[in-house]
Amino acid sequence: MRERVPGALRGDSPGLSLARRSLMLVALCLLALPFADLAIIAHDPWAELARMAGGLAWPSWSALVSPLHAIALTVGVALWGTALGVLLGFPLALIFARSRLVRAGCAFVRAIHELFWALLFLQVFGFSAVTALAALAVPYAGIFAKVYAEILEQTPGTAAASLPPGVDRLSRFIYTELPLVWSRLTAYTRYRFECSLRASVLLGFVGLPTLGFHLESAFREGRYHEAGALLWLFYLLIGSIGLWSHRRLVPWLLLASLFVLGPWPQVDGGLLWRFVSQDLWPAPLREGDWSGLIAWFTEIPDLLPAIANTLLLGLMGTVGALLVALLVWPLASRHFGNRPSRFAGKAVLVGLRSTPELMLAFIFLLLLGPSMLPAWLALALHNGALLAFLAARHADNLQPGMPGLTASGRYAYELLPRLYPGLLALLFYRAEVIIRETALLGMLGVATLGFHIDSSFEYLMFDQAFFLLLVTAMINIAVDALARRYRPRDVVMDDPCSR
Amino acid sequence: MAVESAPLLRLDGVDLGHGRQIVLANLTLDLHAGERVALLGQSGAGKSTLLAALRRRLAGDVAWCPQSHGLVPQLAVYHNIYMGRLERHSALANLWNLIRPERRAWAEIAALCEELGLDGLLRRPVAQLSGGQRQRVAIARALYQQRRLFLGDEPVASVDPHQALRLLALIDERHATSVVALHQRELALSHFDRVWGLRNGRLELDAPTRELDLADLDRLYPAADAPHPTTDVQRRAEAGDA
Repeated sequence: MRERVPGALRGDSPGLSLARRSLMLVALCLLALPFADLAIIAHDPWAELARMAGGLAWPSWSALVSPLHAIALTVGVALWGTALGVLLGFPLALIFARSRLVRAGCAFVRAIHELFWALLFLQVFGFSAVTALAALAVPYAGIFAKVYAEILEQTPGTAAASLPPGVDRLSRFIYTELPLVWSRLTAYTRYRFECSLRASVLLGFVGLPTLGFHLESAFREGRYHEAGALLWLFYLLIGSIGLWSHRRLVPWLLLASLFVLGPWPQVDGGLLWRFVSQDLWPAPLREGDWSGLIAWFTEIPDLLPAIANTLLLGLMGTVGALLVALLVWPLASRHFGNRPSRFAGKAVLVGLRSTPELMLAFIFLLLLGPSMLPAWLALALHNGALLAFLAARHADNLQPGMPGLTASGRYAYELLPRLYPGLLALLFYRAEVIIRETALLGMLGVATLGFHIDSSFEYLMFDQAFFLLLVTAMINIAVDALARRYRPRDVVMDDPCSR
Repeated sequence: MAVESAPLLRLDGVDLGHGRQIVLANLTLDLHAGERVALLGQSGAGKSTLLAALRRRLAGDVAWCPQSHGLVPQLAVYHNIYMGRLERHSALANLWNLIRPERRAWAEIAALCEELGLDGLLRRPVAQLSGGQRQRVAIARALYQQRRLFLGDEPVASVDPHQALRLLALIDERHATSVVALHQRELALSHFDRVWGLRNGRLELDAPTRELDLADLDRLYPAADAPHPTTDVQRRAEAGDA
């Protein structure tokens, strides 16, 4: 009797159900694609690209004005931002599981990107280090609280269970729980510091004089050789973290950077109170004028298209990141290629991963003109490279069962089936980050929520900006909940350093 | 021997288990002060369940040495042993002890380590020790608790027979009463006053060792007399699952 061959994607193995889930996502993205504005508007992108590449190849070091100060400020902001985030986040992590209020608060501060926090604090603290530090520390407190809580939750219980009865909670914690998860906590903190270094660079885009400030102006004014030098400086800084952020050195760096961060602003308490109690809220709401409130709502420009664009770009970015990751992870894996190819592959992935997506988008924007395309490319490449890097690292720990397979056989039969559930789970975790960045890319002119937030701040319409920030946060939280629901369960590759 | 005195603990028709699942049903036994009990039975027979129940009931009197050791690999040998008396110091003193060892505790633990052949290892993280050394650290921690009663879940499983004897002697020296889960049958006969044997979720054997020989103990292990080896394998697999 001849067995009938099952149709494509039929069956209920976990791999097939994941494949169906991913193809649904891709199909959804393809359906939505016609609604996206993907025009190339620049007249000669290739010439522009050549000039940029030339700038990167022949950086002009002498054109830099005060690179040391910019670097010191970037590092100082990142260090203190992370440190304050840890100080606030760690105690919150301890009560995270017990308090719904803490969980909700953390979800809210996490959902708003560092740069939007910066725009908000800018109104009160001006272009000062306080703005920069608060912009990093506030969202990071929420992130640390959540991730630390997740790590602490996974503490093995055998050591605590073997203690004699009557040991107080603090002693139990510092002897039998903290040491067991210490290395994971520090690894995550280290990763978060790397993120904060990128964010600290980005703060230059809203006018704080970090590296990003000089980068943005050099790029915008077409001084590509200077921009090239700054970009190299940035890569050098990121690449050498391991050398200068030694455990023993960090306290000294913290102390030393205090001198760079000043001068500290005079904060006018009355002004601050007015901002928080009045400026942020719509006038009709404060006066209890309901019909006025409705009128206020209708004056918000293009709210629904902005939300749709945010979601669309988020979906496209997520799918793009998945496709990029699937294509490029073998470049950095020991199972493929030779030593030079792997070295080059790793360099490209680390480069893409280290470049903040706002900067990538900015460069693509200069190349391709204002549409959704630069933002999409930036999101897909940055996040795809990050996922690919983690996937390659995971693959390197796998031992193929059948030696001597061809490269494609190894990819499709040995490695991908083992990697894919983890990769997809990471992607679903990453969806939250992608949607947060999507809003952010609006600052470059893509008509997402971020665009309207940015312009509301520009026109000093703080009530509108704050309302849009709340909407952004809600969307973020909703997308995170959705991703959490459809995330593959019980996977081996769960790396907190992807969030 | 103090066998005739009132028992330290009496279980009378008790069901023991985890949550709703009953591992040992209708258990009846006495534990007398001054008695040294060997607990035998194949893995999954319920030895750990019984020991956990004894530990719960005798809470403050028990020095406990778990099968998984319950050590913290990142901490030094000294700190792991110190944990045996964590409840006798304030949280602040415990915290400070992590930074700078307390002088009296250090001297006491150093002496204990010397007896257990761990001298010179006090500052070494447990992660860097061999299996046998970790076992001895776990015993040292139990000894450091200074209780009347020693409860050990296979405390001499991963050391050689010669050392096992020495460790058991040390345990006896410092505890009047002990209940020790074992898998060395000869050791149970030569070194203990009484044997509790578990099989199929029941206490099959509860007798003084002078009335027992190796054949009696072998009966606790179905592999020796099982008529259907396949069902036995299945049962073992199920026990492993549970």
